[in-house]
Amino acid sequence: MSKFLTVLTIFLLLLPAMLFSTERLPRPEKITLDNGLVVYYLQNPELPLVSFRLLIKGAGSAFEPEGLDGLANFTADMLLKGTSTMTAEEIAEALDFMGARLTFTSVEEYASGGGDCLSQFLPRLLQIASDCLSSPTFKEDEYEKELSRKVDTLKAVKDNPARALRQYFKKAYFGQHPFGHISLGTDSSLARMSLSELKKFHAQRYRPDMTMMAVVGDVKREDLIKILNETFGRWPKAAGPAPAASIPPLPSPAGQKLVLVDKPDATQAYFALGSPGFAQKDKIAVPATIMNTLWGGRFTSWLSTELRIKRGLTYGASSSFQSWKIGGLFMASSYTRNEKIGEMLDITFDLLKKARSQGFSPEEIESAKNYIIGQFPETLETNGSKASAYLRLVFYELGFDYFDHYLVDIQAARPEEIKKAAARLLPEKSYTLVVVGKASDIKKQLDKFGRWEEKKITDPDF
Amino acid sequence: MPKKTVIFILSLCWLTVMLQASFKKEDIKVFQLDNGLKIILYEDHKIPNISYYTFFKVGSRCERPGLTGVSHFIEHMMFNGTKKYGPGQFDRLMEFNGGANNAYTGDDFTAYTDWFPSTALEKMVELEADRMQGLLFDPQVLESERGVVASERRMSVENNNEAILYENVRATAIMAHPYHWDVIGWMSDILGWRPDDIKQYYQTYYAPNNAVLVVVGDFESSKLMELIKKYYGPIPAQSPPPPIITVEPPQQGRKEVVVRKEAQTPSFMVVYHGPACTSPDFFALSILQKPLVEGESSRLYRRLVREEQLALSVSGGIEEKIDPFLFMIEVKPRPGVDLTRIEKIIDEELAKIIQEGLTETEFEKARNIGLSSFYFGLQTNSGKANMLGAMEMLYGSYERLFTYIDSYLAVKREDIPSVARKYFNDLNKTAGYLLPEGGQR
Repeated sequence: MSKFLTVLTIFLLLLPAMLFSTERLPRPEKITLDNGLVVYYLQNPELPLVSFRLLIKGAGSAFEPEGLDGLANFTADMLLKGTSTMTAEEIAEALDFMGARLTFTSVEEYASGGGDCLSQFLPRLLQIASDCLSSPTFKEDEYEKELSRKVDTLKAVKDNPARALRQYFKKAYFGQHPFGHISLGTDSSLARMSLSELKKFHAQRYRPDMTMMAVVGDVKREDLIKILNETFGRWPKAAGPAPAASIPPLPSPAGQKLVLVDKPDATQAYFALGSPGFAQKDKIAVPATIMNTLWGGRFTSWLSTELRIKRGLTYGASSSFQSWKIGGLFMASSYTRNEKIGEMLDITFDLLKKARSQGFSPEEIESAKNYIIGQFPETLETNGSKASAYLRLVFYELGFDYFDHYLVDIQAARPEEIKKAAARLLPEKSYTLVVVGKASDIKKQLDKFGRWEEKKITDPDF
Repeated sequence: MPKKTVIFILSLCWLTVMLQASFKKEDIKVFQLDNGLKIILYEDHKIPNISYYTFFKVGSRCERPGLTGVSHFIEHMMFNGTKKYGPGQFDRLMEFNGGANNAYTGDDFTAYTDWFPSTALEKMVELEADRMQGLLFDPQVLESERGVVASERRMSVENNNEAILYENVRATAIMAHPYHWDVIGWMSDILGWRPDDIKQYYQTYYAPNNAVLVVVGDFESSKLMELIKKYYGPIPAQSPPPPIITVEPPQQGRKEVVVRKEAQTPSFMVVYHGPACTSPDFFALSILQKPLVEGESSRLYRRLVREEQLALSVSGGIEEKIDPFLFMIEVKPRPGVDLTRIEKIIDEELAKIIQEGLTETEFEKARNIGLSSFYFGLQTNSGKANMLGAMEMLYGSYERLFTYIDSYLAVKREDIPSVARKYFNDLNKTAGYLLPEGGQR
């Protein structure tokens, strides 16, 4: 037994057998390592495969210093570019040799990692993953290479209107709030970036006591614990308290913010419309999910029916909610040929109005409920999707029984709750609307929506 | 060297064990109706859901000038109404019953992919059987859908520089075979297909004798077969579609295509004519491509992205097609770099493989990548259904799935240089450059 680790706590979260049929997600075992790192584990011997996922609280883009957009993601990228025991080339070689996948990235609230491999390679993959997290070397030459690749990637993003739109929307909607940080970086943030900032971000924010892990697949408990002993268990305990991880309240747009990005070679115009959503733990999640399924969340939704199925204006039109701890975002988007963008936006606003004022019919609601419940099992079918779900449920403090009552609540949701969710969450007068397209062709159609702030796609930043 | 042999033998045993342990040929049930419809069933009760995949042996390979893109268009029309269920009813009924679906059209075949709770099974059998024969082709709906597909082309090709270059390179490399055009079809064809031609095409190819049904998940085979007989049984067979007779003539010299377009970054790709998927060379090239372009340890990634820093990314390989297609190498260059330099480096790296082949480690790595992606693909009901169906379409039998790994293992490291020499030569090559307007090559 390694002296660096003993298994401190083991919780077996078992439900009575009679409830088993309604247990939507098998309960994992919780293992807490000596250094504070928590691991959720589920054995699945069906195929000789294992997946694991990692979540590092407080290492997301919301915690980047102002003006250093992309720092969190850059830090995550650099984890694979050399450790105290391996060079970047050796890491790439080892991963490819095993046919394994190992990735690190970041979102607003946290950094995350993931690995998938044939079970026989798990010890090696966990060794590499833990080295990457705990002892990246941040070599100058690797940093320079990555930096220059990021600078050029920004140009390639601007050649792709759909990808560019997402970045412009984020900046327009969140403004100065840290959720507006662009994970790709911006021209000015990359100009300001430095290796010492990356090192500092890693030293302060990548800590075993802020890290959670989930392992699902064909590995026996005692084998896994032995491997963890020799890998993640050796990540030294962090000194001192973790840095603050609070995020200021989300902005709520008052009135309309309209941004037009001129891309003179575009043959289609792309729009994104956004307004406040709801926080992860908000009870409105249930009626809001039903409402969104009907409004823009599936193929036969109102938005897709009117824009695609009936009028053939577009190949795709959809809406979605994204939720964080402190709040959320509603976003609808689509695209059409330049001369139709005005019509497309008119229809979109009409549909928002209709849903707010009328709600949905009982047949529609029944259909949405069946759809959400019927599609649910496949979202947790793979080892990787189960591992991700464990970490999400823990991070947002939802509990492992969350899906069990969530689906019961979906079934029980009443029409008036769904209408209320539409009235509260679908934007009327306050929203952010961004359009990317050929301004000279589309400007006239857009004038009636209000005053547009105009940008050129070739201007720096978003 | 001995150590590696041991690993290799071990992994081989383990594979056999694994295939026998969980997903074996013996558990697959196969039926054929009198009208020719072939049915492949695999029961798996882990989740209360079913993946129901219908494959038709029709794709852009079956098209002709003036009708390019029509296979893909019919895929869209399959959601737009039959005599029994009006436009949009298929999706509405399916979603009402908790199901979701998608479809994809390729060069060689078209697949309709449904996922639903097992309670919806009978409804789905009925809906799928209904649209195998009874499409309505309402004129107004047809025109609206034409607009959708035109929009899809604008999005996926015209507003995507890599796709524009790909379309140009492909059409330059392949001059006679219908692989000349991409699945989406030319814009003028999309805007011009005549409804009668579309209907005729549908009648020919959407026939039970040209289809394979693959169902994986939570059902009882005997009960499902009763439903299938009930709903599909009455559908008449059609005369078999005409064979595709055009053979691409050998290329006789390097080709080049230059696209000029407003852009901030250039694009680059190079392709070589390759073998059909049934050729033993296919698997040798599939092994070869992994250390060449897959992953950050690959030769071209190291050279172009890391060492010389000429590119942002590298990808490519050989595609699995019924008729000989292309081995592609696609590079996303950095702005302002000399693209001829990229082409020269690719030539150098291919020449090294022709002379020296792959190292022992590279060869073993290629196998591991192949095996792990193969097994990860089998994780879900849908993954299994998709692979079984693809084997039927490409190789004529789902059983190929269970010998697929053997084909990988049959490739010998010594074979690599001669296979590389056969395909990677200047006579067989087409290079494509997309240059930002006003920029230098």
